[in-house]
Amino acid sequence: MSGETDSLELSERLNMIEAMIAEGRGRYESWGWMFVLWGVAYYVAFFWAAWTRFAYAWPITMIAAALLTMVGKWRRGNQPSTTMGRAIGATWCAMGISMFILLDALGFSGHLEDVRIFVAAAAAMIGTANAACSMMLKWKAEFACALVWWTATVIASFGSAHAAIGAFLVAIFLCQIVFGIYAMILEWRRRVRGVAHA
Amino acid sequence: MPELPELNPVVHGKLRLALLSLLSGVDEAEFTWLRAKTGATDGNLGAQLMKLEEAGYVSVEKKFVLRKPQTLYRMTDAGHAALTEYVAALKQLLGAAI
Repeated sequence: MSGETDSLELSERLNMIEAMIAEGRGRYESWGWMFVLWGVAYYVAFFWAAWTRFAYAWPITMIAAALLTMVGKWRRGNQPSTTMGRAIGATWCAMGISMFILLDALGFSGHLEDVRIFVAAAAAMIGTANAACSMMLKWKAEFACALVWWTATVIASFGSAHAAIGAFLVAIFLCQIVFGIYAMILEWRRRVRGVAHA
Repeated sequence: MPELPELNPVVHGKLRLALLSLLSGVDEAEFTWLRAKTGATDGNLGAQLMKLEEAGYVSVEKKFVLRKPQTLYRMTDAGHAALTEYVAALKQLLGAAI
Protein backbone atom coordinates (compact mmCIF):
# COMPACT_ATOMS: atom_id res chain seq x y z
CA MET A 1 0.00 0.00 0.00
CA SER A 2 1.35 3.46 -0.89
CA GLY A 3 1.87 6.26 1.59
CA GLU A 4 -0.91 8.22 -0.08
CA THR A 5 -3.37 5.35 0.33
CA ASP A 6 -2.31 5.01 3.95
CA SER A 7 -2.98 8.65 4.72
CA LEU A 8 -6.30 8.43 2.88
CA GLU A 9 -7.30 5.45 5.00
CA LEU A 10 -6.21 7.16 8.21
CA SER A 11 -8.13 10.27 7.20
CA GLU A 12 -11.22 8.14 6.52
CA ARG A 13 -10.90 6.66 9.99
CA LEU A 14 -10.77 10.10 11.55
CA ASN A 15 -13.91 11.08 9.61
CA MET A 16 -15.61 7.86 10.70
CA ILE A 17 -14.80 8.59 14.36
CA GLU A 18 -16.36 12.06 14.08
CA ALA A 19 -19.43 10.72 12.26
CA MET A 20 -19.98 7.92 14.80
CA ILE A 21 -19.57 10.22 17.80
CA ALA A 22 -22.15 12.60 16.26
CA GLU A 23 -24.42 9.61 15.51
CA GLY A 24 -24.26 8.49 19.10
CA ARG A 25 -25.08 11.88 20.53
CA GLY A 26 -28.39 12.07 18.70
CA ARG A 27 -29.81 15.34 17.53
CA TYR A 28 -32.12 17.96 18.87
CA GLU A 29 -33.41 18.65 15.35
CA SER A 30 -34.95 15.20 15.32
CA TRP A 31 -37.39 16.52 17.94
CA GLY A 32 -38.70 19.20 15.56
CA TRP A 33 -42.03 17.35 15.34
CA MET A 34 -42.45 17.90 19.08
CA PHE A 35 -42.27 21.68 18.71
CA VAL A 36 -44.95 21.49 16.02
CA LEU A 37 -47.09 19.16 18.15
CA TRP A 38 -46.95 21.48 21.16
CA GLY A 39 -47.56 24.52 18.96
CA VAL A 40 -50.72 22.91 17.62
CA ALA A 41 -51.67 21.90 21.18
CA TYR A 42 -51.30 25.51 22.40
CA TYR A 43 -53.54 26.71 19.56
CA VAL A 44 -56.16 24.01 20.23
CA ALA A 45 -56.21 24.75 23.96
CA PHE A 46 -56.27 28.50 23.45
CA PHE A 47 -59.17 28.55 20.99
CA TRP A 48 -61.06 25.81 22.84
CA ALA A 49 -60.83 27.77 26.08
CA ALA A 50 -61.63 31.09 24.40
CA TRP A 51 -64.72 29.92 22.55
CA THR A 52 -66.27 27.51 25.02
CA ARG A 53 -65.01 28.97 28.32
CA PHE A 54 -64.42 25.37 29.34
CA ALA A 55 -62.21 25.44 32.45
CA TYR A 56 -60.48 22.17 31.67
CA ALA A 57 -59.56 22.99 28.05
CA TRP A 58 -55.93 23.79 28.87
CA PRO A 59 -55.25 20.91 31.32
CA ILE A 60 -56.90 18.34 29.03
CA THR A 61 -55.02 19.52 25.91
CA MET A 62 -51.69 19.71 27.73
CA ILE A 63 -52.10 16.20 29.16
CA ALA A 64 -53.07 14.90 25.70
CA ALA A 65 -49.99 16.57 24.17
CA ALA A 66 -47.78 15.10 26.90
CA LEU A 67 -49.21 11.63 26.20
CA LEU A 68 -48.65 12.07 22.45
CA THR A 69 -45.06 13.15 23.17
CA MET A 70 -44.51 9.99 25.22
CA VAL A 71 -46.02 7.84 22.46
CA GLY A 72 -43.79 9.52 19.87
CA LYS A 73 -40.73 8.97 22.06
CA TRP A 74 -41.68 5.32 22.53
CA ARG A 75 -42.18 4.85 18.77
CA ARG A 76 -38.68 6.18 18.10
CA GLY A 77 -37.29 3.19 19.93
CA ASN A 78 -34.57 2.91 22.54
CA GLN A 79 -32.19 5.77 21.93
CA PRO A 80 -29.18 5.67 24.24
CA SER A 81 -29.18 8.48 26.76
CA THR A 82 -26.57 11.22 26.80
CA THR A 83 -25.77 13.88 29.38
CA MET A 84 -26.83 16.59 26.93
CA GLY A 85 -30.06 14.76 26.10
CA ARG A 86 -30.93 14.39 29.78
CA ALA A 87 -30.15 18.06 30.44
CA ILE A 88 -32.41 19.21 27.60
CA GLY A 89 -35.16 16.76 28.55
CA ALA A 90 -34.97 17.88 32.19
CA THR A 91 -35.22 21.54 31.19
CA TRP A 92 -38.42 21.02 29.18
CA CYS A 93 -39.89 18.62 31.73
CA ALA A 94 -39.28 21.03 34.63
CA MET A 95 -40.72 23.90 32.58
CA GLY A 96 -43.80 21.85 31.70
CA ILE A 97 -44.46 20.84 35.30
CA SER A 98 -43.94 24.41 36.55
CA MET A 99 -46.29 25.81 33.92
CA PHE A 100 -48.91 23.14 34.58
CA ILE A 101 -48.88 23.78 38.35
CA LEU A 102 -48.73 27.59 38.14
CA LEU A 103 -51.37 28.12 35.48
CA ASP A 104 -53.75 25.51 36.89
CA ALA A 105 -53.33 26.89 40.41
CA LEU A 106 -53.93 30.45 39.22
CA GLY A 107 -56.82 29.36 37.01
CA PHE A 108 -58.72 27.28 39.55
CA SER A 109 -58.15 29.80 42.34
CA GLY A 110 -59.75 32.45 40.16
CA HIS A 111 -56.69 34.66 39.90
CA LEU A 112 -56.17 34.14 36.17
CA GLU A 113 -58.99 36.36 34.97
CA ASP A 114 -56.64 38.70 33.10
CA VAL A 115 -55.37 36.98 29.96
CA ARG A 116 -52.25 39.18 30.13
CA ILE A 117 -51.07 37.41 33.28
CA PHE A 118 -51.51 34.06 31.59
CA VAL A 119 -49.59 35.10 28.46
CA ALA A 120 -46.82 36.85 30.41
CA ALA A 121 -46.22 33.85 32.68
CA ALA A 122 -46.47 31.18 29.96
CA ALA A 123 -44.29 33.08 27.47
CA ALA A 124 -41.64 33.82 30.10
CA MET A 125 -41.39 30.14 31.07
CA ILE A 126 -41.30 28.84 27.49
CA GLY A 127 -38.70 31.51 26.70
CA THR A 128 -36.58 30.35 29.63
CA ALA A 129 -36.61 26.74 28.43
CA ASN A 130 -35.74 27.79 24.87
CA ALA A 131 -32.92 30.01 26.09
CA ALA A 132 -31.46 27.31 28.36
CA CYS A 133 -31.49 24.75 25.53
CA SER A 134 -30.05 27.20 23.01
CA MET A 135 -27.17 27.95 25.38
CA MET A 136 -26.51 24.25 25.93
CA LEU A 137 -26.56 23.56 22.18
CA LYS A 138 -25.07 26.91 21.12
CA TRP A 139 -27.97 27.18 18.69
CA LYS A 140 -28.72 30.79 17.73
CA ALA A 141 -32.01 29.96 16.00
CA GLU A 142 -33.45 28.67 19.26
CA PHE A 143 -32.17 31.67 21.18
CA ALA A 144 -34.06 33.83 18.69
CA CYS A 145 -37.18 31.88 19.73
CA ALA A 146 -36.44 32.72 23.37
CA LEU A 147 -36.23 36.39 22.44
CA VAL A 148 -39.61 36.17 20.69
CA TRP A 149 -41.19 34.58 23.77
CA TRP A 150 -39.68 37.20 26.09
CA THR A 151 -40.93 39.93 23.78
CA ALA A 152 -44.41 38.41 24.10
CA THR A 153 -43.99 38.58 27.90
CA VAL A 154 -43.16 42.29 27.74
CA ILE A 155 -46.04 43.02 25.32
CA ALA A 156 -48.46 41.13 27.59
CA SER A 157 -47.22 43.02 30.63
CA PHE A 158 -47.49 46.50 29.17
CA GLY A 159 -49.99 46.15 26.31
CA SER A 160 -53.71 45.54 26.04
CA ALA A 161 -55.38 42.14 26.30
CA HIS A 162 -55.70 42.03 22.52
CA ALA A 163 -52.00 42.80 22.10
CA ALA A 164 -51.15 40.03 24.58
CA ILE A 165 -53.25 37.49 22.70
CA GLY A 166 -51.76 38.60 19.38
CA ALA A 167 -48.20 38.35 20.72
CA PHE A 168 -48.92 34.89 22.16
CA LEU A 169 -50.36 33.55 18.90
CA VAL A 170 -47.49 35.00 16.84
CA ALA A 171 -44.91 33.55 19.26
CA ILE A 172 -46.54 30.12 19.00
CA PHE A 173 -46.49 30.34 15.21
CA LEU A 174 -42.86 31.47 14.95
CA CYS A 175 -41.28 29.52 17.81
CA GLN A 176 -43.27 26.29 17.70
CA ILE A 177 -44.62 25.79 14.18
CA VAL A 178 -41.98 27.56 12.05
CA PHE A 179 -39.05 26.60 14.29
CA GLY A 180 -40.29 23.00 14.52
CA ILE A 181 -40.58 22.72 10.74
CA TYR A 182 -37.13 24.31 10.38
CA ALA A 183 -35.68 21.69 12.77
CA MET A 184 -37.42 18.92 10.82
CA ILE A 185 -35.96 20.24 7.55
CA LEU A 186 -32.48 20.30 9.15
CA GLU A 187 -32.93 16.69 10.26
CA TRP A 188 -34.16 15.66 6.81
CA ARG A 189 -31.19 17.38 5.13
CA ARG A 190 -28.82 15.72 7.58
CA ARG A 191 -30.26 12.32 6.72
CA VAL A 192 -29.95 12.98 3.00
CA ARG A 193 -26.45 14.44 3.09
CA GLY A 194 -25.10 12.86 6.26
CA VAL A 195 -24.44 16.28 7.80
CA ALA A 196 -24.54 16.50 11.60
CA HIS A 197 -25.49 19.54 13.70
CA ALA A 198 -24.90 18.43 17.27
CA MET B 1 13.22 13.27 13.54
CA PRO B 2 10.45 12.48 16.04
CA GLU B 3 9.32 8.86 16.25
CA LEU B 4 5.89 8.12 14.73
CA PRO B 5 3.38 6.59 17.14
CA GLU B 6 2.07 3.05 16.88
CA LEU B 7 -1.67 2.65 16.41
CA ASN B 8 -3.37 0.54 19.08
CA PRO B 9 -4.35 -2.67 17.19
CA VAL B 10 -7.40 -3.29 19.38
CA VAL B 11 -8.81 0.16 18.59
CA HIS B 12 -7.62 0.13 14.96
CA GLY B 13 -10.09 -2.56 13.80
CA LYS B 14 -12.70 -0.69 11.75
CA LEU B 15 -15.78 -2.07 13.50
CA ARG B 16 -14.15 -1.83 16.93
CA LEU B 17 -13.22 1.78 16.21
CA ALA B 18 -16.79 2.53 15.13
CA LEU B 19 -18.12 0.90 18.31
CA LEU B 20 -15.79 2.84 20.59
CA SER B 21 -16.65 6.08 18.79
CA LEU B 22 -20.37 5.40 19.14
CA LEU B 23 -20.06 4.48 22.80
CA SER B 24 -17.94 7.55 23.54
CA GLY B 25 -20.93 9.79 22.80
CA VAL B 26 -23.50 8.01 24.97
CA ASP B 27 -23.85 6.82 28.55
CA GLU B 28 -24.68 3.27 27.52
CA ALA B 29 -26.06 1.54 24.44
CA GLU B 30 -28.02 -1.58 23.67
CA PHE B 31 -26.63 -4.30 21.43
CA THR B 32 -29.49 -3.74 18.98
CA TRP B 33 -28.76 -0.01 18.72
CA LEU B 34 -25.08 -0.67 18.04
CA ARG B 35 -26.07 -3.22 15.39
CA ALA B 36 -28.39 -0.71 13.70
CA LYS B 37 -25.77 2.04 13.70
CA THR B 38 -22.90 -0.10 12.41
CA GLY B 39 -24.84 -2.42 10.12
CA ALA B 40 -22.77 -5.34 11.39
CA THR B 41 -24.04 -8.88 11.73
CA ASP B 42 -24.88 -10.25 15.18
CA GLY B 43 -21.91 -12.65 15.12
CA ASN B 44 -19.31 -10.12 14.04
CA LEU B 45 -20.64 -7.45 16.38
CA GLY B 46 -20.64 -9.85 19.33
CA ALA B 47 -17.09 -10.97 18.56
CA GLN B 48 -15.74 -7.43 18.27
CA LEU B 49 -17.52 -6.31 21.43
CA MET B 50 -16.02 -9.28 23.24
CA LYS B 51 -12.54 -8.22 22.12
CA LEU B 52 -13.17 -4.72 23.43
CA GLU B 53 -14.47 -6.18 26.66
CA GLU B 54 -11.41 -8.40 27.03
CA ALA B 55 -9.19 -5.36 26.50
CA GLY B 56 -11.12 -3.61 29.27
CA TYR B 57 -12.40 -0.89 26.94
CA VAL B 58 -16.11 -1.64 27.36
CA SER B 59 -18.16 -3.16 30.13
CA VAL B 60 -21.28 -5.22 29.59
CA GLU B 61 -24.45 -5.53 31.63
CA LYS B 62 -27.13 -8.10 30.92
CA LYS B 63 -30.58 -7.66 32.35
CA PHE B 64 -34.23 -8.35 31.70
CA VAL B 65 -36.67 -5.55 30.89
CA LEU B 66 -40.31 -6.66 30.74
CA ARG B 67 -39.05 -10.27 30.54
CA LYS B 68 -36.98 -9.46 27.46
CA PRO B 69 -33.18 -9.84 27.65
CA GLN B 70 -31.28 -6.61 27.21
CA THR B 71 -27.51 -6.29 26.77
CA LEU B 72 -26.07 -2.90 27.56
CA TYR B 73 -22.55 -1.76 26.72
CA ARG B 74 -20.68 1.07 28.39
CA MET B 75 -17.29 2.52 27.57
CA THR B 76 -14.84 2.30 30.45
CA ASP B 77 -12.29 4.95 31.47
CA ALA B 78 -9.61 2.79 29.83
CA GLY B 79 -11.69 2.78 26.64
CA HIS B 80 -11.98 6.57 26.67
CA ALA B 81 -8.22 6.86 27.21
CA ALA B 82 -7.48 4.36 24.42
CA LEU B 83 -9.70 6.19 21.94
CA THR B 84 -8.22 9.56 22.87
CA GLU B 85 -4.69 8.20 22.44
CA TYR B 86 -5.67 6.60 19.14
CA VAL B 87 -7.09 9.85 17.76
CA ALA B 88 -3.98 11.75 18.87
CA ALA B 89 -1.74 9.15 17.18
CA LEU B 90 -3.87 9.26 14.04
CA LYS B 91 -3.57 13.04 13.85
CA GLN B 92 0.18 12.81 14.39
CA LEU B 93 0.50 10.24 11.61
CA LEU B 94 -1.64 12.30 9.27
CA GLY B 95 0.44 15.36 10.08
CA ALA B 96 3.58 13.45 9.21
CA ALA B 97 2.04 12.20 5.94
CA ILE B 98 1.17 15.72 4.73
